[in-house]
Amino acid sequence: MKASLRNHFLALCILALGSTVGRMAYAQTAAAPAQPAAAPAPVPPATAELREAAAKAPTPADLAKGDPGGILTGTMADLTVTDAKAGPTLADAGNQIGQNKVAINFVWTLICGFLVMFMQAGFAMVESGLTRVKNANHTYMMNFFVYGCGLLAFWVIGFAIQMGGAAGNGNLGGLYPLAAEHSISLFGKTWGVFGKTGYFLAGTSYDVGVMVIFLFQMVFMDTALTIVTGACAERWKFITFSVTSVIMGALTYPLFANWAWGGGWLSQLGTNLGLSHGYADFAGSGVVHSVGGLTALAVCLIVGPRIGKFNRDGSANPIIGHDISAVLIGCFILAFGWFGFNPGSTLGASSNGNLRIGTIAVATMLAGCTGTFGSILYMWVTKGKPDASMSGNGLLAGLVAITAPSGFVSAPSAAIIGLVAGVLVCVSVSFIENVLKVDDPVGAISVHGTNGLWGVLSVGLFADGTSNYGGSWNGVPGSVTGLFYGDAGQLAAQLVGISTLLGVVFTLSFAINMVLEYFIGHRVSAETELNGLDIPEMGQLGYPEFVFRPEPGFAKAA
Amino acid sequence: MAASKSQGSYFAVFLLGSTVLCGGIAYFASGTGKLLLLVGAAILLASLAGFLKIKPLEGETPILASPGLMKWVGAGVAVLGWVVTLGGLHLVNGNGGRIVVALLGIGVSCFGILYVLPAAFNKTAFWKKPAGASTRASISTLAGKGTMDAGFTAPPGAIESARMESAR
Repeated sequence: MKASLRNHFLALCILALGSTVGRMAYAQTAAAPAQPAAAPAPVPPATAELREAAAKAPTPADLAKGDPGGILTGTMADLTVTDAKAGPTLADAGNQIGQNKVAINFVWTLICGFLVMFMQAGFAMVESGLTRVKNANHTYMMNFFVYGCGLLAFWVIGFAIQMGGAAGNGNLGGLYPLAAEHSISLFGKTWGVFGKTGYFLAGTSYDVGVMVIFLFQMVFMDTALTIVTGACAERWKFITFSVTSVIMGALTYPLFANWAWGGGWLSQLGTNLGLSHGYADFAGSGVVHSVGGLTALAVCLIVGPRIGKFNRDGSANPIIGHDISAVLIGCFILAFGWFGFNPGSTLGASSNGNLRIGTIAVATMLAGCTGTFGSILYMWVTKGKPDASMSGNGLLAGLVAITAPSGFVSAPSAAIIGLVAGVLVCVSVSFIENVLKVDDPVGAISVHGTNGLWGVLSVGLFADGTSNYGGSWNGVPGSVTGLFYGDAGQLAAQLVGISTLLGVVFTLSFAINMVLEYFIGHRVSAETELNGLDIPEMGQLGYPEFVFRPEPGFAKAA
Repeated sequence: MAASKSQGSYFAVFLLGSTVLCGGIAYFASGTGKLLLLVGAAILLASLAGFLKIKPLEGETPILASPGLMKWVGAGVAVLGWVVTLGGLHLVNGNGGRIVVALLGIGVSCFGILYVLPAAFNKTAFWKKPAGASTRASISTLAGKGTMDAGFTAPPGAIESARMESAR
């Protein structure tokens, strides 16, 4: 009975709210001092009903008896009122509704950010498991320390460059302090280049919404950084890794992220040049994974292959990792974290089309599944065994590829994208190793670089035009639609994004790391590498009670 | 040398310099900001000089000198591809034309990244050197420790066969 009564009053309140929405703007202003009016102002009927509902709400005495069914908890009595004496008003109810929307979005974004943060553990396990036992501590430590290096750099300057001009996201309360984007005028149009507010999260960026978006974007950035550690494992100097991680978190990653997500020029391709919705990268196949993968390729070229990887005739030797259980458990942790990565990129669960979070989660799940199938079947058919490490890479490849299109595609499209990614990662690993002669111990360049680019491309092909995040994307009305659904302009925008990743991000990473090669040097000494990096670089073995046996192959060769 | 106190010290100086430099960028409009920028840049340069000073203390790496110019040409070709793509956006109006030009630009970038750069780095790759022909005598002596051959290579399949042998 009470529940029915409560529902009745709430329904009335909502109806009344719609008719008096104009009052909401003044909801948080202090109540004006009472004027000595001749007669009391009439109370609007809706407000009267609110007050009546408040009067009928459970009292503390009622609640003290306990509420096992949960029907007394959360009523008008919990509404925050500006004037307790006068009782609740429509403005109070409106404020509460607005705050609830933002609160839901804050909690959603934060929890998804926490999930993404946990992906660091998955990366650490995958990368360390795929390296030899003599380098386990070093590989784990790179994955551990990259979190600190990236976070520090992002807090100091990276966040400002990326999001300093990203004001306007209604899901998180507007983010209005982030309102300064440095722009240039070219060909009669204005193009955003980098943000200018949010350094040290000080000044006006000391704001609740800014903190939420900082945390979420920071863990994304750290994901990109940790991709490089795997590709360069077993021969990378810890000091050079530390310095380059700081620079990547401060400059390389934030710059491209600004162009795609922070109001920069790639996101303006639609509004400025009519390329559909501009570059669309829902959760970061390009921004996170391609940036990480291409940087990994740049550093891998400079640091060179591990001793013993290639024979004199150019053929490659497999160097097997020490712990396949860590690899596969790590992959599961990453797949779990991806549910924060992709659905979390809505930056909210309430309003503006955000109920699509379920579709995004399912697309993520499906692409990971078909990616695993793609790689397992490819290896089984071509090599005769369902290779475990490539299975893990297939799962990750599917997840990487669906990251950009996850917000725009249907379930069948997600399955196709994942399947292609699973096969592509196997082909790419072979190409990079056997044709380019680049040594990537964990397959990071293929998983994140190659499939990141495939993910970006797939938006331009498979986006079905059904997503509607508030009615527009990148300032262009309507939904993102790919070539297969009739919009070639979106494909063109995605190709411009890919070209930028290859031409600018790769080259910038390459140039920075060539400078570091001159000043610090990337490669450990041959003696350090052969003995394992754990003792010389970290001072401690990863597994001190293991009996270390020198590489038998080299001993035999000598 | 591997990791050392000097590395840790200069890394701390690098972090300090970077932070001060960024403080200068953040408050560049003020006089204090400009001062911070200069001080930060000076500290940063000092850290790089320190890194350069201790670099020779590191033991010899297996990497051999490779053509530097070719590396920068490869990077330049990668950038050129991007310029082609951007140029196409302004020279071509239709979506089809823009897609073709963008693909052309991507192709040019890929040529730089996937052909020129690997060729530059692999031209003098250490694993191509025949056994006993290493240009670095000090590294060759490591072979005497029973860990590797002089050219830092293993015969084809050596690792796998040794692993299978040890497994038996």
